[in-house]
Amino acid sequence: MMLEQIKLLMPEIIIATGICTMVLSSSIKIISSKLISQIIAAVTLMAATASAIFLLPSESQYLFDYQVIIDPLTSGLRISSYVIVLIVIFGTDVNEKINQNELFLIELFATLGISIICSAANLLIIYLGLEILALSLYTLVASNKHSIESTEAGMKFFILGAIASAVFLYGISLIYGTYGTLNIHEINSIDSTNTLETQIALGFLLCGIAFKFGAIPFHTWVPDAYQGASTSAALFLSTAPKIAAFALLYRILIDGFMAISETWTIMIQVLGILSLILGNLIAISQTNMKRLLGYSAIGHVGFIFLGISTGTKNGLESSLFYVLIYVLMMITAFMSLEVLSSKKHKVELISDLKGLNNSHPWFALIMLFVMFSMIGIPPFAGFFAKWSILTSLIDANMIYTAIIAIVMSVVAAFYYLRVVWYIYFEKTELSISQIGSSSLQQITVSCVGLFLLFLGLMPKPLLDFCTKIISSKLLID
Amino acid sequence: MNILSTIIFLPIIAALFIILLGRTKVRSGYNLALLVSFVVFALSLYIGIGFDPGLNQFQFIEQVNWISSFNIQYHLGIDGISYPLILLTTLLTPLVILTSKTSPKDKYHQYLASFLILEGLMIGVFTSLDGLLFYIFWESMLIPMFIIIGIWGGNNRVYATVKFFLYTFLGSIFLLIAIIYLYFQTGGYAITDFHTIPLTMNEQVFIFLAFFLAFAVKIPMWPVHTWLPDAHVEAPTGGSVILAAVLLKMGAYGFLRFSLPITPDASAYFSPFILVLSLIAIVYIGLVAIAQMDMKKLIAYSSIAHMGFVTIGMFVIFGLDNSLIHTEIKSLAMTGAIVQMISHGLISAALFLCIGVMYDRLHTRQISDYGGVINSMPKFAALMVFFGLANAALPGTSGFVGEFIVILASFQINPWVAVFAATTLIIGAVYTLWLIKRVIYGQTSNQKVEGMTEMTTIEAIPLVILALLVLLLGFWPAPLIEIMSTSVENLVNHIAHSKL
Repeated sequence: MMLEQIKLLMPEIIIATGICTMVLSSSIKIISSKLISQIIAAVTLMAATASAIFLLPSESQYLFDYQVIIDPLTSGLRISSYVIVLIVIFGTDVNEKINQNELFLIELFATLGISIICSAANLLIIYLGLEILALSLYTLVASNKHSIESTEAGMKFFILGAIASAVFLYGISLIYGTYGTLNIHEINSIDSTNTLETQIALGFLLCGIAFKFGAIPFHTWVPDAYQGASTSAALFLSTAPKIAAFALLYRILIDGFMAISETWTIMIQVLGILSLILGNLIAISQTNMKRLLGYSAIGHVGFIFLGISTGTKNGLESSLFYVLIYVLMMITAFMSLEVLSSKKHKVELISDLKGLNNSHPWFALIMLFVMFSMIGIPPFAGFFAKWSILTSLIDANMIYTAIIAIVMSVVAAFYYLRVVWYIYFEKTELSISQIGSSSLQQITVSCVGLFLLFLGLMPKPLLDFCTKIISSKLLID
Repeated sequence: MNILSTIIFLPIIAALFIILLGRTKVRSGYNLALLVSFVVFALSLYIGIGFDPGLNQFQFIEQVNWISSFNIQYHLGIDGISYPLILLTTLLTPLVILTSKTSPKDKYHQYLASFLILEGLMIGVFTSLDGLLFYIFWESMLIPMFIIIGIWGGNNRVYATVKFFLYTFLGSIFLLIAIIYLYFQTGGYAITDFHTIPLTMNEQVFIFLAFFLAFAVKIPMWPVHTWLPDAHVEAPTGGSVILAAVLLKMGAYGFLRFSLPITPDASAYFSPFILVLSLIAIVYIGLVAIAQMDMKKLIAYSSIAHMGFVTIGMFVIFGLDNSLIHTEIKSLAMTGAIVQMISHGLISAALFLCIGVMYDRLHTRQISDYGGVINSMPKFAALMVFFGLANAALPGTSGFVGEFIVILASFQINPWVAVFAATTLIIGAVYTLWLIKRVIYGQTSNQKVEGMTEMTTIEAIPLVILALLVLLLGFWPAPLIEIMSTSVENLVNHIAHSKL
């Protein structure tokens, strides 16, 4: 019995083993190299993905006295996050000086945290996963030791993150005081009245979740962390943790507090609309590419929150679909920046991309794919992401919210178009000549970029995947 | 053989090849682009052999399940309204590609590829019978056009292209909301289902306004026209040609395919409003055109004025009072609108090509820099004068047919509309003939004009072809009218039935 249960946690065990192996290998001088670490990380993640696919459950199953849940959602999110991290690892430049061995180690730790959040069914276990993830991310942001900005961003991120964690923990304690349990399964079954205590507790938990997503007004760390972190670190920071944030939100709000959904849907909706409007408006004035992507991420989170705020199965499916496509777009964007950067020519500002179409037409095209995908223009994946959110909003009769969302996506179009115009329309003497990235990175970014086009033409598999893993009976169709 | 898919995707695939050939093999890229666009034109003519104008339904249907969970189909088909527009598209693309050779261009392979991709997407718009598929083609068209204006345009190209993109994007995204709303009413995205679904007046008004934003910006109607002069002035010659000849027609096509049949009652309700906007376009924008100093801007404003006739023809059928209007008159007005679409497509394309010919020699579009072009380029001047007269709706040219039919029909419905619309015969003549006078005739004031060489064969071929078509449709529009008559009648009958 026990063995059966442990078998279901195979992916986490594999990752933990991988971490230990990497720690050991880096302490032995002869085989300590970044390449070895990269290979270990990649193999670990592939094995974890394989085991997660192999263990794909058809219905939900609780382990360890309702503390851990393995259901289609757990597996689906685990698989997606492993694949995402795998892409990130392929896209990391091992020749870059600031990318030390530890980078891969920290990223594996963070993946373990994400994995735990995806399968947790108890608020304390969720908190455990959250802290593993958060502490890894603080280190990741600050890992560029020679840059003051990186240290500053790490510090800022850490202090704000610590406050958010404290607030989240306080929310958990209030929940325990009200419900007498931390098991989400039991919280859901207790027929609670919608009291002030639960509302406050839920509000605190939401603050924590909103911080993880980087929704306004808990967003201040996002642009600084994206800008301060090295591109490889930002690549991780901006992508995989969003999947964890979705899992967090789903486990707490849907599995736990679906009964009082009218309380939190309105909160999520307000956060979503604020993020959409402010995130996109502030992004217009950005000149730094990473900050621009940071604010654009806030705008995307607005869309994700709007899908969740419908509280319907369609809405959740479309939000998950949006999260996955958002992650793919961000990966391509950050990885392109990393690929195009060289020692001589760091791509930091949008104007650094000037004349890219002359020197590197292929990567210019990939950037064009990403930018139009982010605007939501077909035939790229971003279009179907926006379309699915709009569909669920209209289904839930939230037409005015849908109109706000589309008007803001026109505002967003402006700053994405500016990137395209610098790449295609501006001419410069100082264009990017030599790029110092490895061919593995170049192939990875090309594949992900083309995948955005493919998903825009054939979104069906991913849509079906989302439908399949969002299968909670608590949600209304 | 799936001929519609072939003419959509053949140019797109060819474009990928041309990009792969790269800038070193531009020569073969050009030949390939020319070959493919001619093949597509030939195929679209071949469609005409199998096309039965008398058949009261969509033809050459292709239907495949695309995203089954949302009932989205890859569903194509054509009728008498879309087929002439497809022919217009496939005719103009090879002409544009042919003439593009005369002015040297940076990254020429990307230029050719953009036009081929644009062609495929435009045909896609005219053939889609699935709402979401239509939207996908409609919206993805923005990408090549944005690139065409932005890379190969004039000095102020970035401003113009961003304005073009944001304007049309803002309009068309409301179309998406309306289409999704209709999906929840019908359970699918089939446009033919949208046509038959009953809708309350409130729903119709909401959907009509959403459609209106998308299509009015594209046509463009006054007062959302301001992107067009900028885009036209800055776009390269080929871009202007496609923009004026085909892209503007998409707005009108949208009215025919979406607004009128899906929301007939709301269309009737809003028809006075639209007629007023169209008359403002004809009179006021016509006057604005007179004052222009830039040749391309002048033609751009004249396009807006001419498109006013299209919207009048489509919306005058509801009448302004509640008197009963004979179906034949309604069909006449609608036919006039579509003939005007095709005719304007030919004439404006030709005028932009003419301006391109002059621009390649003198690199200016200012009217004041020219004068006396006839002395150095007599053959070209003859063609330019001919197209000018066609633009001023001289009898015997296609420009006359469309405008005359619309005025004739609207006179029987509401004489006041006809009276105001007919002022174009004066205003249009003023701005076009004055342009011709200042540019072609008169003393050669600019030394450089004397040095202009006569147009080359490559420049002449498209202009001669277009001139012949303008004359043909001017004297014998019957084949065109015959192609669309059944579909127009069908549409008019459909609109006559209230959906309430």
